[in-house]
Amino acid sequence: MIEKNYILFPSYNHGLALESLLKQNKIQYIISPTPRQLSVCCGISIMYNKKDEDLIKKLIDENKIDILGFYTLER
Amino acid sequence: MGDYRKLWSDLKMDLEKHDVLCSVLPELYSNVYLSQENRPDGMNYFNFVVSEVHGLRIEELDNHKKQGGKVLGTFCVYVPDEVILAANAIGVGLCGGSQFWIEDGEKVLPRNLCPLIKAFVGAKISATCPYFQSCDMLVGETTCDGKKKAWEILNDYVPVHVMELPQKKREKNIEDWKLEIKDFINVVEELTGNKITFENLMNAVKICNNKRQALKRLYNLRKNMPSPISGLDSLLISQIAFYDDPLRFTQKVNELCDELEGKIKSLKPNNKKRIMITGTPMAIPNWKMHSIIESLNAEIVVEETCTGTRYFENFVREDAQNIEELIDNIARRYMGVNCSCFTPNTGRVEDITKYAKEYNVDGVIYYNLSFCQTYSIEYKKVEDALRKENIPLLFVETDYSEEDSGQIKTRVEAFLEMI
Repeated sequence: MIEKNYILFPSYNHGLALESLLKQNKIQYIISPTPRQLSVCCGISIMYNKKDEDLIKKLIDENKIDILGFYTLER
Repeated sequence: MGDYRKLWSDLKMDLEKHDVLCSVLPELYSNVYLSQENRPDGMNYFNFVVSEVHGLRIEELDNHKKQGGKVLGTFCVYVPDEVILAANAIGVGLCGGSQFWIEDGEKVLPRNLCPLIKAFVGAKISATCPYFQSCDMLVGETTCDGKKKAWEILNDYVPVHVMELPQKKREKNIEDWKLEIKDFINVVEELTGNKITFENLMNAVKICNNKRQALKRLYNLRKNMPSPISGLDSLLISQIAFYDDPLRFTQKVNELCDELEGKIKSLKPNNKKRIMITGTPMAIPNWKMHSIIESLNAEIVVEETCTGTRYFENFVREDAQNIEELIDNIARRYMGVNCSCFTPNTGRVEDITKYAKEYNVDGVIYYNLSFCQTYSIEYKKVEDALRKENIPLLFVETDYSEEDSGQIKTRVEAFLEMI
């Protein structure tokens, strides 16, 4: 089961851009509706495992993907 | 996460009330769907569609309308999507599957009516569904008395065209349905300003057949033991089929099937009971029965419902030489769908017994929305046929509320132990 870590985006196309990078780099992820606790705007976010966070941050920087931030929800 | 409030406001939605609806979905979806183990990666596309259910797709409809295109809302698998597509219009399925809309529906409808009708009427009159708000016209049909009368109420809010579906399947009824399709073509041509020709209708037939083929491919994969995909995920795909862009949807379902074909080779047998659901439709986000059943030691491997096999079985023949023949092929394809509004409806009983063997099911759960008379009466015929075949059957009548979930779970649990 994937952990409850989320990446939020200003719009869905930034999310999809990151998705294809995650796929290429074989990093486990799940597209999820943005949890209400994190934002009142609806739309996609990406769930990931904490162990991959540094690599994902690197991909985001290198590919200039706009994100709103990384968040973790306590269970 | 896009901010769609301006778009919703332009659609004259009740933003405050809509916000209550939006606040429920992420957690509901997360609990029901994202908590499943070993989901195929291809389900990410469908996660995406659900996450953007009131966002991206609505924006697409809006862009289409800005370019002069029209949007038509439909409620039933008998309304021929081919006609809508041929006129370069977009069709969206509008059946309501949420308890959220029931209260508003009951303001104008009797309480003892099926939840699906109360929900879709409630969705419109409360102005909380952006799909309804995007529609230039609704297309109703005469598949039950409740719907027939509900169109008159909806017509006060948005223009409704009603197709008269025959109630028997004689040759003269097929001829009647052909005339209804021709009337519908005239209505759609007038609304869109686009002429429906043999060429654009044939192109639309091919798009719809390809979509049916992709869904059939998915269902065929579910015949594998164990199924490579959960009933919950398959149900979601069927529900999304009603409103997603058909070309993109078909491509994504085929990509998922490619993945599942690779996956089945490494699947080991599980001891889950294989269940067929038969009965009334499950409109999005009605995942109640599937989530109850699959929380137990069972997997749903086929749905003989409008959000299942009835949606994609039978293809429109593509061998027509002219538009008259093509309309005939379309009429015959749709009249081949077996809904309990027909009398007699022996085809449905035959379908159920056939699927029970094809999908190797251990038992059948007859899902009946409260107050849906034709389906609840037809139960007797299904029961008789399945008894002859020694196939266990459980009848569950319910609505969208969660009040009876515990009770249903206990009954299903007992049923699974028995089979």
